Amino acid sequence: MHFNKRSLITLAVLAAVLAGMYYFFTKRGITYIWHWESIPEMLFYRGGKSAADPSVHLRMGILMIGFMLTLKISITATFFAIIIGTIVGITRLSSEPITRLLSSVYVELIRNTPLLVQIYIIYFFFGSMLRLSAFTAGTAALAIFAGAYVGEIVRAGIQSIHKGQMEASRSLGMSYAQAMRHVILPQAFKRIIPPLAGQFISLIKDSSLVSVIALADLMFQGQQAVARTYYAFEIYFTVAALYLVLTFTLSIATQFIERRLAISD
Amino acid sequence: MIKAEHLFKTFTTPDHREVKALVDVSIEIEKGEVVVVIGPSGSGKSTFLRCLNRLEDIDSGRLLIDGIDIYAKKIDLNKVREEIGMVFQHFNLFPHKTVLENVLLAQIIVRKRNRQEATEIARSLLEKVGILEKENAYPAQLSGGQQQRVAIARSLAMHPKIMLFDEATSALDPEMIGEVLEVMKKLAREGMTMVVVTHEMGFAREVSDRVIFMEDGKIVEEGTAEHFFTNPTSERTKLFLSQIL
Ligand SMILES: Nc1ncnc2c1ncn2[C@@H]1O[C@H](COP(=O)(O)OP(=O)(O)OP(=O)(O)O)[C@@H](O)[C@H]1O
Ligand SMILES: [Mg+2]
Repeated sequence: MHFNKRSLITLAVLAAVLAGMYYFFTKRGITYIWHWESIPEMLFYRGGKSAADPSVHLRMGILMIGFMLTLKISITATFFAIIIGTIVGITRLSSEPITRLLSSVYVELIRNTPLLVQIYIIYFFFGSMLRLSAFTAGTAALAIFAGAYVGEIVRAGIQSIHKGQMEASRSLGMSYAQAMRHVILPQAFKRIIPPLAGQFISLIKDSSLVSVIALADLMFQGQQAVARTYYAFEIYFTVAALYLVLTFTLSIATQFIERRLAISD
Repeated sequence: MIKAEHLFKTFTTPDHREVKALVDVSIEIEKGEVVVVIGPSGSGKSTFLRCLNRLEDIDSGRLLIDGIDIYAKKIDLNKVREEIGMVFQHFNLFPHKTVLENVLLAQIIVRKRNRQEATEIARSLLEKVGILEKENAYPAQLSGGQQQRVAIARSLAMHPKIMLFDEATSALDPEMIGEVLEVMKKLAREGMTMVVVTHEMGFAREVSDRVIFMEDGKIVEEGTAEHFFTNPTSERTKLFLSQIL
């Protein structure tokens, strides 16, 4: 795996900040007794499900369980955000005024209200009306939120494709939908990979907000662990590192895909 | 094959001016005929061509292709366009697909041919335009002349009844114009019905049956290529020809 220069610098800065903080806490008289030794078991431990369970297995600790849920929420929301965003991007350019109006109302509503408020509205209003689980409501809120931004990115991507591509496709007898699917969208998506990746990195981070509806994601489990042990520094550093693992992996995967797709240029 | 009656087309520019791109254009083109369209920039040549496959809508008039009124309400436009190939000044190949895939795509999704049959057709056409050895290259790896020959093959693969060329050689470096014109001449000799917008008077002289001169959206003069070389009647035509020859 190749790391580019920017990722290396990011890592170096991060290491320097951590070293600085360590120095600050240990050498400058602030007495804080570190409890790093209690972190590993929050990730993985050997033992039974509970104190009463005598079996010995490698099990996920509380933070790892939260991490897996965050991963699941992020992947599901990203999947639906792509679908919503593609539909919105296309309808924003529709020749039907009503369709165009509806999709821009959606985009404006979502982009001009806080995500936190949207999560509460979807969970408490739609969630209780439609009997949605916290997972469904939280994931839906994230997908609907990110979908609006993805829609704008997709629209810009479609508009960046020269209109000669659509004309050539139509003059070969393709329908509008065929031309979109086989000619315009593949080119548009290739072009918008960087802003899309940025959007999905935001989505991973924003997913921490669903902890407010008691969805036991990484953030929620971190808070629980802190409430129980008071090891706030160690736990939140670990939580941050686990979010970094997700976002950093996504950003490296993006670079890899971009390089693969650059072949036809 | 093509029968245009009193076509009118007006564009409204972004700054709300009205541009008359087609003014009462009527023409009849027989099967197998090669018609060259000449005229100064902005005279409506491209608009005329684009109305023939309805990439552009007319304001009024009637247009019959093979006896079918393509501006009728209940027309399947995609069916009409399958029969009319179009070649553009800037090629408009699909950059994310290889040469072969460019020629395959519409055959498979529009003509519903199976991949094997489509590939055979594609290969024989790529051979015909002399570019089979590049079948796995991407458009960006080809010269302009090569790209335009692929674009012609892509259109021909649909087995169209009519081919439209809009300044197919205008974006090419001089040394590549010849190879594209050769392909077009070959097509003309094989009896393809062609409407060709071009400034290449050599092409007009060699293979065209008729030349029409357009200005300000109107057909100003019409005749054989020879007629235009020897005794064009309108002053405008004379002036235009003196500029391009
Ligand atoms: N989409 C459009 N919107 C507004 N005006 C247009 C549009 N397309 C063409 N026109 C105008 O219509 C007129 C005819 O244009 P057209 O492209 O048919 O000319 P042309 O003879 O092909 O010129 P050229 O030799 O430069 O290609 C021009 O004045 C042009 O500015
Ligand atoms: Mg033109």
